[in-house]
Amino acid sequence: MASTAPSLTLPPSQFARLQPHAYLLAHLSPPASSNQPSIRANGRAPSQFRTTYANTGSLTHTNGSAVVRVGDTTAVCGVRAEILPTDDIASWSVSHSSSSNTNKRRKIIKSENEEEEEEEEEEEEDPNEESHIQDLNLLVPNLSLSTGCAPGFIPGAPPSALAQSLSHQILNLLHTTRLVRAEDLRVWYQPPSLGGEELERHNAEEQMDVDVDEAARKDGEVKAFWVLYIDIMIVSMAGNPFDAAWAAVLAALRDTKLPRAWWDVDNEMVVCSDVVGEARKLTLRGLPVASSFAVFEADAAAGWRAVIVPDAEEERLIEEGDRKGIQRRWVLADPDGYEEGLSQERACVVVDKVRGKTVIVKMEKNGGWALDGKELKGLVDVSERRWEEVKTILEQC
Amino acid sequence: MVGPTASLSPLVRADGSASYQCPSTGSNILGSVNAPVELPGRRDALKPEDATVEVFVKPGTAPASVGERYVEGIIRGVVGRLILGRERGYQRRGVVITLAIVGGENVSRGDSYLTLLPALLHTALLALLSASVPLSMTFSATVLSVDAAGKITREPSAEDAAAAKSLHVLAFSSKGHLLLNESQGAFDFDTWERVRERASAICHGTSVGEDGDVAMVESADGQPLEGTIRETVEDQVHRDYSWKIDAA
Amino acid sequence: MTDRRRINGPPSGTRPAVFASSLKSASGISTGRPQRERQPNELRKLFLKTGLIPSASGSAYLEFEPSASLAAARSSPQSLIPPSSALKLACTVHGPKPLPRSASFSPNLVLTTHVKYAPFAARQRKGHIRDASERDLGVHLETALRGVIVAERWPKSGLDITITILEAEDDRWWGDAPDSHDAPWGMMNVLAGCITAASAAIADARIDCLDLVAGGVAAIVSDETAEGETSSPKLMLDTDPAEHKSILSACAVAYMPSRDEITEIWLKGDHSKASLGTDDKNLGHEALIDGAVNAARGAHTVLAEAVKESAERFAGLMLGGNAA
Repeated sequence: MASTAPSLTLPPSQFARLQPHAYLLAHLSPPASSNQPSIRANGRAPSQFRTTYANTGSLTHTNGSAVVRVGDTTAVCGVRAEILPTDDIASWSVSHSSSSNTNKRRKIIKSENEEEEEEEEEEEEDPNEESHIQDLNLLVPNLSLSTGCAPGFIPGAPPSALAQSLSHQILNLLHTTRLVRAEDLRVWYQPPSLGGEELERHNAEEQMDVDVDEAARKDGEVKAFWVLYIDIMIVSMAGNPFDAAWAAVLAALRDTKLPRAWWDVDNEMVVCSDVVGEARKLTLRGLPVASSFAVFEADAAAGWRAVIVPDAEEERLIEEGDRKGIQRRWVLADPDGYEEGLSQERACVVVDKVRGKTVIVKMEKNGGWALDGKELKGLVDVSERRWEEVKTILEQC
Repeated sequence: MVGPTASLSPLVRADGSASYQCPSTGSNILGSVNAPVELPGRRDALKPEDATVEVFVKPGTAPASVGERYVEGIIRGVVGRLILGRERGYQRRGVVITLAIVGGENVSRGDSYLTLLPALLHTALLALLSASVPLSMTFSATVLSVDAAGKITREPSAEDAAAAKSLHVLAFSSKGHLLLNESQGAFDFDTWERVRERASAICHGTSVGEDGDVAMVESADGQPLEGTIRETVEDQVHRDYSWKIDAA
Repeated sequence: MTDRRRINGPPSGTRPAVFASSLKSASGISTGRPQRERQPNELRKLFLKTGLIPSASGSAYLEFEPSASLAAARSSPQSLIPPSSALKLACTVHGPKPLPRSASFSPNLVLTTHVKYAPFAARQRKGHIRDASERDLGVHLETALRGVIVAERWPKSGLDITITILEAEDDRWWGDAPDSHDAPWGMMNVLAGCITAASAAIADARIDCLDLVAGGVAAIVSDETAEGETSSPKLMLDTDPAEHKSILSACAVAYMPSRDEITEIWLKGDHSKASLGTDDKNLGHEALIDGAVNAARGAHTVLAEAVKESAERFAGLMLGGNAA
C-alpha cells in the first residue's frame, strides 16, 4: 500500500469543492466515448425532483402543522389561529356597518361534491368580501432561516433579505391563488331580532344548532375574524427553500382545523368550543404546487463580456447546433444548494389543475436569458408532472 | 396612448440618476446610481473578481418592508446580469442603485409591485447609463394585464390590475432575449404566449413569428419602448455635448 | 409595533381563542388534569437522532415521548385543548470556524449558544425576537457545555450551537390559573432536552469532548389525592409539569456519567415547606440533585446509542470516500 506512488488525482469530493463548475459540467456532459448518460452530480436526471416526504399534524400547539422534507431541505410549518374582533378594527364600523346587512350568505360546504360546486362559487364570490383577507391582514406568513439551517445564516439576526423575500412570495401566492376562503375565517353573530319569545327561542337555537338556518344568516353580523399566523421554520437548508416552504404551508393549511366560534353576548367576546367534532377544516381553493428550476451554463464566463452575448436570433441558430452535439445549457429541476451556487438564472412555476386542465398560477424567470417561450413550455410540462407527485404525497399524509 | 417620459441626471450629487414617469400606470420614479463605490463594512461578502450590485427601493409613503426586499431581488437579478462587473475599476466594488417611488398608487400589503416594476427597471437602467456603468446590453420592460375575457391591456392602472385575471411583467434585452418574466394570477400557456408576443411588440416594435418572419406591428402601441429609452439617452448626450457640436 | 422585516398581522393585534369550557367554574375543570401514569423514577422515552441536517457540521433532533394523556388525546381526540405537550427540538452545530475579523484573539474555542422557540412552540404564541427566558436558556446551555468541550484544541475558532424548539413543555396545566405555579417549570425540561441534544450534535460534529454530557430533571411535587387534599411531597424524575398540581422545587443538571461530574445545575423553587417537619432524607437538596443525576443517566444511555450511530455513519462515509 505504502509503495504506491502519490497519486495526482483528487478524490471526487475534493474536486467538487475546488472546481465546482467543472465538476458539475463533467457530470452533465460526459465524454462521448465513455457512453455515460448525462446526469447531475447528485445522481438525478435534469428534470428529476428530490424525494419528497410530508407529515402533518404532529405539533401539539398548532391548529395545523406540517413537516415537508424535499431531499435535505426541511421546512416545518405551524398554523396558529387567533381572533380579531371587528370592534378592534379601526375602520370596520365605517366601512361595513352599512353594507353588512345586504346579502351575506353563509355557505355551508357539506360534502364531497364540493368539486362541482367550486366553479359556481368562484363566480358568485363577491370580490369585496374576498379582499377582507388582504385588507385586514388575516394571513400572516413568516419564514425563518435563522434556525442554524445552514452556515451562512446567523441565528438571532433579523431575517435576511432571502427570508424576507421568501415570506413575501408566500404571502403573495396566498393572495393571488386565493387559497384560503374569507368565509372560513368569519365568525358570525345572529342578533336576536323581534320580540321577547322569539328572542328566547332564537338564543336557545343558536346554542344548540351548529348550522343555523341559511335564511337566518342573511342579516347576521360578522363579529370577528380568524387570523392565521403561518410560521415556517426552515430547519435544514440544502437549496430550493421555496418549494419546500410552500409545500409545507399547503400541507399545514390542509391540516388546519378551526374550532367552532360564536359571539357570547354575556361576556361580550368570542368564545370557542373545544369539541373536536365541531371544528371545521379549511376548505381550500385548489392545490397549487410550486416547482423551481435553475439554469446551469457550460461557459461560466458567458454573459459578462459584451462581445460574447449573441443576438436572440443567433442564439436560435446555436441551439440548432445543440441538437447535433454539444449542449451548452441544462435546466435543472429542484436545484440543491450546490447547484444553486453555480447558476444565476432561476425559474419558478406554480401550477394547479382544475378538472384535469392545467392552470398556471405564477411563472417567474429571472437572472439570465436562457429561458424563453419554448423552454418555459417545457418547464410547465415538468411542473404538471410534479403536481401529480406532490398531490399524491399530500393526500397520503 | 401617452408614452412614458424620462429625464437623465436630475440629481447633481449622485454619479448617475434618472427620473421616469409612466402616465398609464401613474408611476413616478426617481433613481440614483453610485458606482463604483467602496463597500467598507462588507469586505468578507464581496466577490473577488466581480462587482457587487445593491438595489434599494423606497416606497413613497410607508417605510420599506418585506415586499420591497422581494422587488429589490428581482431588479438585482435583471441588472446584475447586465452590468459588466469585471471591467477595470469595478471588481470588489459596489454598484448601488436607489429607487424612490415619488408618486403613484400605494402598493398594498403582499402585493408584488408588478404594475410599478417596468418603471422601476427603466429608471434603474437610465440611471446606470447616466452613471456610465458598463453594460453588456440594455433592455426594456412592460406590464400587461389579461382580463377574464382574455383581453390584453398594456400598462394597466392599479384598478385595472386589481380586476385582471392575470398580470405579466416581461423584460426584453436590446438583443431580443427574454430577460425577465413575472406572471401571477390564473392563466394558461397559450395566453402567456400571446402576452409574450404583444410585450415583444411593445418593447421592440416588431414581433418575430415562429418562421422567423419579422412583421411590423400596428402603431397602436405607439413608439416602441426600446426607442424611447434610446432617445432619452440620445437627447441627453446631445445636450451634454452641445458645446462641442456647436463648435464643430 | 410593526416589524419592517417581517409580515405583520392586524395592527390592532389579535387575541388567542378562548374556549367555552375554560370559562366554566373551576370545579368543572379540575377533574381534567392529566395524571402521571409512570412510576416516580420512570423516565419518558427519548427519540434522538443525529445527522438529519447535512448542511451543518453536526446536528441532532430530539423528541420526548408524549405522556399518557397526550398520547390518548392524539389517538382519539376529544378536545381541541391539548392536555400536555412533548418537547421537540432541533439542534445544529456550525464550526469550528474562524472567528470573524472583528473578534478579538481567543486561545480557546469560542462557544456561542442560541436557543429560540418557534412561534408555535408554546401554548401562548411566542414572538420572533428572543425574549428573556430564551436568552436565559442559552446562557444555561453554554455553561453546561463549556465544561465539556476541550476548548484549547481550537484557538481562534468559534462554534455556533443553535437550537430551535418546535414544541416546548408546558409550564403548568392549562386549567390552572396562570399564577398558581410560580415558576416556569417547563423551562427545566427544555434545558435538559437542549443539553442532551446539543451533546449529541457536538459529538456528531466530531468536536473533542471530555464525556457525553446529558441533561436530567427531577422535582419535588405534592399532588392532589382523590379526596382533593394535597398529599405529602414526593420526589419524581422527569416530571411533566402539566401532570402536577404543585411543584415545590425542581432541579435540572448537566451530568457527565463517566467522570461523575456536574457541569451545570439549576435549582429552582422553595422546598423548605416540604423538608420542614419531615426528617425524610428524600426531600433535601441532595436527594433532588441525585434524582436529576439519575434522570441524566437515563438520558445518557439514549445519547450514547445515538452517538454510536453517528460514528458508524461517519466511518461508513470515510470508507466510502476512500473506495471512490
